[in-house]
Amino acid sequence: MWDWLIAPLQYEFMVKALLVSGFVGVVCGVLSCYMTLKGWALMGDAVAHSVTPGVVLAYALNLPLAVGAFVFGVGSVWLMGWIQKQTRIREDAVIGLVFTGLFALGLVLISKTPSNVDFLHILFGNVLGIPTAEMVQTLVIGGLTLGILLVFKNDLLLFCFDPTHARSIGINITGLHYLLLTLLSLTIVVALQTVGIVLVVAMLITPGATAYLLTDRFDRMLILAVLSGLGASGLGTYLSYYLDAATGGCIVLVQTLLFLLAMVGAPKYGLLRRGGRPG
Amino acid sequence: MRQTPSIALENVTVTYHDQVALYGINLALPPGTIVGLVGMNGSGKSTLFKTIMGFMTPKTGRVWIEGLPIHQAQKQGWVAYIPQSEQVDWQFPVSVQDVVMMGRYGYMNWLRIPRPIDRRMVETSLRQVDMLPLKDRQIGELSGGQKKRAFLARALAQQAHILLLDEPFNGVDMKTEREIIQLLMQLRDAGHTILVSSHDLSGISTFCDQIIFINQTILAYGDTQEVFTPENLNRTFGVPLPGIMP
Repeated sequence: MWDWLIAPLQYEFMVKALLVSGFVGVVCGVLSCYMTLKGWALMGDAVAHSVTPGVVLAYALNLPLAVGAFVFGVGSVWLMGWIQKQTRIREDAVIGLVFTGLFALGLVLISKTPSNVDFLHILFGNVLGIPTAEMVQTLVIGGLTLGILLVFKNDLLLFCFDPTHARSIGINITGLHYLLLTLLSLTIVVALQTVGIVLVVAMLITPGATAYLLTDRFDRMLILAVLSGLGASGLGTYLSYYLDAATGGCIVLVQTLLFLLAMVGAPKYGLLRRGGRPG
Repeated sequence: MRQTPSIALENVTVTYHDQVALYGINLALPPGTIVGLVGMNGSGKSTLFKTIMGFMTPKTGRVWIEGLPIHQAQKQGWVAYIPQSEQVDWQFPVSVQDVVMMGRYGYMNWLRIPRPIDRRMVETSLRQVDMLPLKDRQIGELSGGQKKRAFLARALAQQAHILLLDEPFNGVDMKTEREIIQLLMQLRDAGHTILVSSHDLSGISTFCDQIIFINQTILAYGDTQEVFTPENLNRTFGVPLPGIMP
């Protein structure tokens, strides 16, 4: 067991991968609590897919990839709001429309760009081969996101729980709405290197959903989500090393497994506890 | 000397897009009263609530809360809204105490870290509505009456003078309804102004000091014994309602 854990650490790429994926697990764990409580799963998936053309364009223009991803992430949300105001299409249809359109644009751009190897990494993640510059970028943006999340922890919780009350005591809920969207975009940028666009939404939902089944207290939910995010990232990265399998896939599989464990065995809301009755 | 009205609306018209939702609203609710807001679905009850809370800006006219414009009153935390049960996610991972603490957010600094005074106010408010022993319960584990009391405690912790209750008796049993009414009367006696929207007509005349009949505009407003008449009910609902009048 000890050897199993220690042996991969002689390789610098494994140390880097564990550091980055663990850190991403922590940031995503915190955000995932808000995403599950606010019901933004679809929104998270949509923003994740929508950043694709931004990443390709940023590459073509020689800008940091994070800049392109951020612009398109926030832009996609603005576009969804605008279309909804102008037409009579319902919200879920608008979200589906916008993100598939932008994702398709991204795929076309990728296929027309000469060195398309890099972009496969964006789609599926490549934490084992992460360059140092991008690692630093991930840590800086992730740290910033984590900091903002912790500062606005209680306001965002109130925004998720009872926006009407927040508004009635003069708290700017439009501001909080866009803050949460911005944090979502930043987190997606952070998670891209690890699990890729296709699986990002799992990082944004699963830890929060797992923790939600385990406790009735928000603070404990945060801690449990962070622990499950961190644990899944670590274990998933090791598994991917030993099985020689896709890292992003392994991490998300471990997360899903943790969720299933919670679903069955959670002390209060688990299937065993409730005898299979729906809660 | 005349008291400043708790809520005053002067010639207010509210429109959604181009459709008129409310027009010609003139009201001056005196402090320390329970006022019932009675009207059909779609008569503008919730629009009136939203206007009083400052969520909708009137197209014409002005709204005053204790003599101040709404947004200043908001910052003071004077107006509290007690949501309908259906609007609350009762599975949310917060305790009764957490919810009541949310009433204090307007007073805390931007990190929203509770100070000793915030904890004291939360405790006092919980005691006032008899909920202190249940403060650590997750909100979904409360009975219908306890849920309402938790949100009333939040309004008290907020030190709100004006309480807006949206259909507080939806889906609660008779015993709970009596409990809530008793608590509302205590709060009224302590000086709060309480505006209750309801379509439960038989109940509302028993505890409201005043009643507003509404259908896009004010059909009648005044002391309950004067305005709670078959004619006004008929005008508000468009059909005679036998069996409601005593």
